[in-house]
Amino acid sequence: MKKKFDLLSTIEYGGCSAKLPAGLLSEVLSKLPVSTDPRLLVDVDTHDDAGVYKINNDTALIFTTDFFPPICSDAYEFGEIAAANALSDVYAMGGAPLVALNLMMFSQEKIPLEVFGEILRGGHDKVSEAGALVVGGHTIDDHPPKFGLAVIGTIHPDKLITNAGALPGDLLVLTKSIGTGALVSGMKNGLCSQTEYNRALEQMKQLNRRGAELAVKYRVSGMTDITGFGLAGHAMKMAEASKVSFRMRTAQIPLLPGAYQVFEKGSIPGATFRNLEFTGPQVHFTRGVEYNLKMLVHDAQTSGGLLMSVNPDHAGQLVQELNDLDPSGGGVIIGEVLMKSPRTLYFE
Amino acid sequence: MKTIDTKGLKCPQPLIMLKEGLLGLEAGETLRVETDNNTSLKNLVSFLRDQGVEPEVSTSGKVHTVVTDVPEKELEGTNPAAYCSADGSDNDYVVCIKGELMGEGDPELGKVLMETFVENLKLQEQLPTHVILYNAGVKLAMKQSPVCSALTELEELGTRIMLCGTCIDHYGLQMDIGVGMISNMVVITETLASAGHVVTP
Repeated sequence: MKKKFDLLSTIEYGGCSAKLPAGLLSEVLSKLPVSTDPRLLVDVDTHDDAGVYKINNDTALIFTTDFFPPICSDAYEFGEIAAANALSDVYAMGGAPLVALNLMMFSQEKIPLEVFGEILRGGHDKVSEAGALVVGGHTIDDHPPKFGLAVIGTIHPDKLITNAGALPGDLLVLTKSIGTGALVSGMKNGLCSQTEYNRALEQMKQLNRRGAELAVKYRVSGMTDITGFGLAGHAMKMAEASKVSFRMRTAQIPLLPGAYQVFEKGSIPGATFRNLEFTGPQVHFTRGVEYNLKMLVHDAQTSGGLLMSVNPDHAGQLVQELNDLDPSGGGVIIGEVLMKSPRTLYFE
Repeated sequence: MKTIDTKGLKCPQPLIMLKEGLLGLEAGETLRVETDNNTSLKNLVSFLRDQGVEPEVSTSGKVHTVVTDVPEKELEGTNPAAYCSADGSDNDYVVCIKGELMGEGDPELGKVLMETFVENLKLQEQLPTHVILYNAGVKLAMKQSPVCSALTELEELGTRIMLCGTCIDHYGLQMDIGVGMISNMVVITETLASAGHVVTP
């Protein structure tokens, strides 16, 4: 039997996630002219997950893209995860994806062609699961490979959920556990079990579809998804966009099994340090928060969960329904929204 | 001195090796780590500072050498000044500041006493877990307050400075807040009720 191609062998041994540092990105973007149009409901200004354009009173388009180098060895699984991650930006606005384009960078000289097919098949199956259609794509020759999607979704303009709507008094609900960055790094360095790593893979493949539907049902006031900037980085962007501050209890934040141990052994990816630098003095930790937890809230997530800001009257039911769906921790209340304070995030 | 050679290795390998290296040493001993990776150097220093030690870094050619004291074991995973008041200790206390003045009598005197009290808090061997300010007490956390910097220092040391949001609204101080987390009565009540003990000046 032919040995299966290991996609992780194509990327530099470094374990640092591929996203450009957030601070650097903001600096570059701040110098570009901002498009304004009354039909543009969400632009780059609030660093939201996707652009949103109102077509008429019943429909707004959600348009987004995301792609990255391999996060796992298996081509099919990589395709699934990259697609779930790209689709998530539509879900983070409360929308439903309609159509997607494949974005692929792949060198046929360096990697067997069937790997190309497997990545696309994984992506295609995930898009189908989301009820959307792959309608084409674009490939260029490049190494190491990268894959992702550009996705169009829709939402009723009145139901749109942005990252700028969190209100003081709301509770914060997180729908997936933290620690995918830690476990990917742990697997590379032999510091976690195969079972723990598989659990992280399964979570990364999971669509945020149901979370988005429930968010609309319970009229959450603000939402974002947690990806490369980590829980702290994305929470900070959401709080800033909403002109509020967040208070979060680290003891309540769900962690993937094994993630803490990986950090305890020192296998902390470079991206975690970059994210810590990005949030900087905007984040306050009380003395009781230990180092590994402080780093885990900065761990870069791939295809992470939704962070919702929800009226306390609806939070209980929302969490209940999320957990009916995924008893292993589909929704957890991790904090609350405060009036804008001198700092943006307060962890304890 | 024990030396860990991480040359040629990229993150997070040097940090893993540093943590392994620390395991075999006692607090106060010295450890040397060599790396030729700039990112790893930055991350090693960030980690060590978080453990409460200040490493010395020297660079020769492409190789950086980090020399560090071994941090106190108990300090691992916490903030430096923090150790004596780690969460859950019996001596935990919350400071509750109800107004601008300390004690009854001459308001001028009360003001001076309160300022001295707040300045002295950060010098305590055991720091408070929280400082709660309500009613006119919130004025102490405003930018123009003479103790704003003392409260900021306490916050840097990991004490949660908690302000009553209703009180800030009442006095119309939204634009003047210099330090602290704006909170509500639910959180304040919960914090006071679960405090080891409450100190009121």
